[in-house]
Amino acid sequence: MPKLTINGQEIEVEPGTTIIQAAQVAGIEIPHYCYHPDLPVDGNCRMCLVEVERMPKLAISCATLATEGMVVHTNNDRVKESVRGVLEFLLVNHPVDCPVCDQAGECRLQDYYMVYGLHTSEIPLEMKVRKQKVVDLGPMVVLDQERCVLCSRCIRFFDHVTHTGEMQFFGRGDHVAIGTFENRPLDNPYSGNVVDICPVGALTSRDFRFKCRVWFLNSTDSVCGGCSTGCSMRIDHRDGTVFRLLPRRNPEVNKSWLCDEGRMSFHELAAGERVRRPMIKGRDGMQAPVVWEEAVRSVDSKLKEIRDNHGAGSILGFASPSATNEALFLFKQYMAGQVGVTRFEFRADSEDKSVTEQEDNILRRVDKHPNSMGAIKLGLVSKEFGGIEGAIESAREGKLRAGVIIYFKPLVRRPTDEEAESRVAELIRAVEYSVVLAAHKTDWLAEASVVLPVTAWSEENGSYTNYQGRVQLARRAVTPAGDMRPVWQVFALLLAVSGADISWSTAADVFESLTETEPAYRGITYDEARLPGALVADI
Amino acid sequence: MIKTLLMNIDEPDQVEIGRVRERGGYAALEKALRMEPAALIEEVKASGLRGRGGAGFPTGMKWSFVPKNSDKPTYLLCNADESEPGTFKDRKLMECDPHLLIEGMAIACYALDCHLSYIYLRGEFEFIAHTLQKALDEAYEAGILGPSVCGRDYALDIYLHLGQGAYICGEETSLIESLEGNRGYPRIKPPFPATHGFLASPTVVNNVETLCALPWIIANGSAAYAAMGTEKSKGTKLFSVSGHVAKPGVYEVEMGYPLMDFINNESGGVPNGRKLKAVIPGGSSVPVLRAEECEGVLLDYESLLKAGSMLGSGGMIVFDETVRMPEALSVIADFYAHESCGQCTPCREGTGWAAKILRNLIAGKGKRPDIDLLLKIADMMEGKTICPLADADVMPIRSFITKFRSEFEELCSN
Ligand SMILES: Cc1cc2nc3c(=O)[nH]c(=O)nc-3n(C[C@H](O)[C@H](O)[C@H](O)COP(=O)(O)O)c2cc1C
Ligand code: SF4
Ligand code: SF4
Ligand code: SF4
Repeated sequence: MPKLTINGQEIEVEPGTTIIQAAQVAGIEIPHYCYHPDLPVDGNCRMCLVEVERMPKLAISCATLATEGMVVHTNNDRVKESVRGVLEFLLVNHPVDCPVCDQAGECRLQDYYMVYGLHTSEIPLEMKVRKQKVVDLGPMVVLDQERCVLCSRCIRFFDHVTHTGEMQFFGRGDHVAIGTFENRPLDNPYSGNVVDICPVGALTSRDFRFKCRVWFLNSTDSVCGGCSTGCSMRIDHRDGTVFRLLPRRNPEVNKSWLCDEGRMSFHELAAGERVRRPMIKGRDGMQAPVVWEEAVRSVDSKLKEIRDNHGAGSILGFASPSATNEALFLFKQYMAGQVGVTRFEFRADSEDKSVTEQEDNILRRVDKHPNSMGAIKLGLVSKEFGGIEGAIESAREGKLRAGVIIYFKPLVRRPTDEEAESRVAELIRAVEYSVVLAAHKTDWLAEASVVLPVTAWSEENGSYTNYQGRVQLARRAVTPAGDMRPVWQVFALLLAVSGADISWSTAADVFESLTETEPAYRGITYDEARLPGALVADI
Repeated sequence: MIKTLLMNIDEPDQVEIGRVRERGGYAALEKALRMEPAALIEEVKASGLRGRGGAGFPTGMKWSFVPKNSDKPTYLLCNADESEPGTFKDRKLMECDPHLLIEGMAIACYALDCHLSYIYLRGEFEFIAHTLQKALDEAYEAGILGPSVCGRDYALDIYLHLGQGAYICGEETSLIESLEGNRGYPRIKPPFPATHGFLASPTVVNNVETLCALPWIIANGSAAYAAMGTEKSKGTKLFSVSGHVAKPGVYEVEMGYPLMDFINNESGGVPNGRKLKAVIPGGSSVPVLRAEECEGVLLDYESLLKAGSMLGSGGMIVFDETVRMPEALSVIADFYAHESCGQCTPCREGTGWAAKILRNLIAGKGKRPDIDLLLKIADMMEGKTICPLADADVMPIRSFITKFRSEFEELCSN
């Protein structure tokens, strides 16, 4: 393992590590535009030039391997002067339209200018090279050629990650401009990523453009709810509204990428009316609002009555692959532990047969739920009952009388969704007594015996277990208006009225119980479930 | 006057293989084919031949960097992209003696165990493409190229590839990218072409003149070649001279020949009774020399370096006293701004910016601080780029301004 010295600090790194990576390990940031940890090195921006003793010229730290005994300087006058020069060059033809640029506040040109530049522009405006300002690149991306620093990150993304090769440089010298071949649209399912990796405001998000200044946004760590891949992401929000979703780099799951559907999935959540209050169907067949206390007591006593009269086998626990592990765990604790239910299912869509099946060879998976693996690990599926179809069937035969159903609309829509949803509706119609925990209104919800309003993805703390069996934490970003509760709290209430000993006051407490109780999760701590997430045991 | 490269250059029928063979053409190849490749490399090393594309890297040494037991094929690429302003020596060789190049390439290929070779010809040289292709066809027909070179158990194919008119494609890694069908962008090095060149395989890129020197060396022996020239600059060199001389053209001289003799004798001197003002000795990218700096300077790598310039490609541009140096520099700067591939920041922005400032200056719109700004831009570019094109702009900018500063100042309003 080579040992080298960077700015007087000695560090040891893996063979094959470049100087820029070694510096990062040592906590030293080397400014750069074109280098990106998940793209091949290109070495074009020349911002990362550093001084390596005994090398006559400055060396680009992104492409120079750290070797034994190397002595590197990243912040002496020679290097600072070089960085300053490159920055000045980058601003020569830059339009400096920060006041109307979405990137302002998270722009590498602005940031580095404040640290290294601070020079006065010596080039009159009329001498600047003009290029196209607003180029429509398709459903996700808008291009401003003048703001581009020609780092080629976007080109490399489409060449090496999606292998679709849409973008290229055109022209030569200071007239080089970024674009797509023959102005073809940029419409592959991962195109939004180039907005994130563009270090400046050249590629902006069509969706987020002009919506909000980035410094007004709050960021919350989360996990995508769009499919079983479970990409690490960040929710940017303000005053209870989600503005955008951005990837968090997770080398074990999604590197630095998100798919476009996942990136846009928050719109699905915002669309549609919410269930805001607990409702119980009266004798007249109409649902009327009740307070939580009353709803929970009524559910608990009704379920137990059915159990006592018809046996626990007449009750189905229908979980959701979109619910958190904490929700599913307390659901199981109550349903199995208190009511004695043995019949469980969580899939309304036969498309979700395999949690691991890929939709493409980049990120997307066929199962459009974030926590199918979590439901499987908790054993919330009873093979012998033949899935949701089997349940409907036995309800029609009168063998199944009640169901407690958690239902979330998938955040990434599929053509089979409607059919899946209609099966849930059928199930509700087929049983005598149905308790539905839902976030959004659907027309069939009115037919349920009890409706309990719950918070959805992005609105509660909790963990999800992805297709690999990796538990990752997601935090509450926004709070919806209304009397909703996180699913885990609903079952904590039910456990309480049922007389169980409960001690959880946060989702973290529930997680701890889960790791104590469930063999697959044994020994995993809450901290380990942060990036990159912890793998559950193969049980 | 010594003639090795230009031995048959004035024969109008030297483009016909029959006449070429009568004059002894391809005899050196036959001789080379009877030698061991390793011995051939040693012979080229011993000759002291250095690359004529501009950098002057020893040719035999370059060849010896090619890994011996690679499981990938080795490629020889002939750099015929000659586009440096003032340089037109390769053009002369290819136009008038194309078989000399083919013979030189075949010798090099045999030494390198290369079976597939390309000539990367400058896009604007389309008219030469016809000459070269005809010569290649003749060589195939004569059994000099193809499955069995000169009847031996050695196969060699040479293809002609026409570039699209980019100076940068003369830089060897850019040439390789272009030949692979990509944008002509120089690569970051390492890895070097010797191990990861064309199609990620071991590759040697040699200049036309370098390759054309090989037949004479093989035919006459390395000792005879090394006997010519100076201690470190062996053999002969072509200089293409243009500008204010009576007889512009391509001339061959022994290394170490006095620069002033070359201007006054071979080139016919500065005409119209005017005085010599300055000389760019090695192509537009090397520092300019004032007339008085030319005295005593010899045409070889070391002497020109000592004088503060470089031998470069041997493209000599002679300026008489009527030349306005800022205008000359502006033309050069425009060239580099136009030809920068635009890949790396300092070159892309610096060459363009410098060219604009110079255009402003000669249009009488410049200010005094612009002169120092030009020097600052040169500092900001130098040594910080992927390939040496930026440095090729730095050298004329810096040398013109420091040596002829008053002319620049006269153009400024304040
Ligand atoms: C900007 C640039 C342009 C170049 N153009 C040419 C050229 O037109 N012809 C050439 O032979 N070498 C050119 N070179 C040099 C080549 O990179 C390379 O060094 C040369 O072809 C090697 O051949 P040699 O060793 O036989 O000289 C150029 C280099 C640079 C940096
Ligand atoms: S558009 Fe952005 S990512 Fe693409 S080359 Fe320009 S600056 Fe880089
Ligand atoms: S691949 Fe799946 S988890 Fe990742 S962003 Fe897309 S929908 Fe979300
Ligand atoms: S120095 Fe200029 S020509 Fe060379 S790679 Fe950089 S931009 Fe291209």
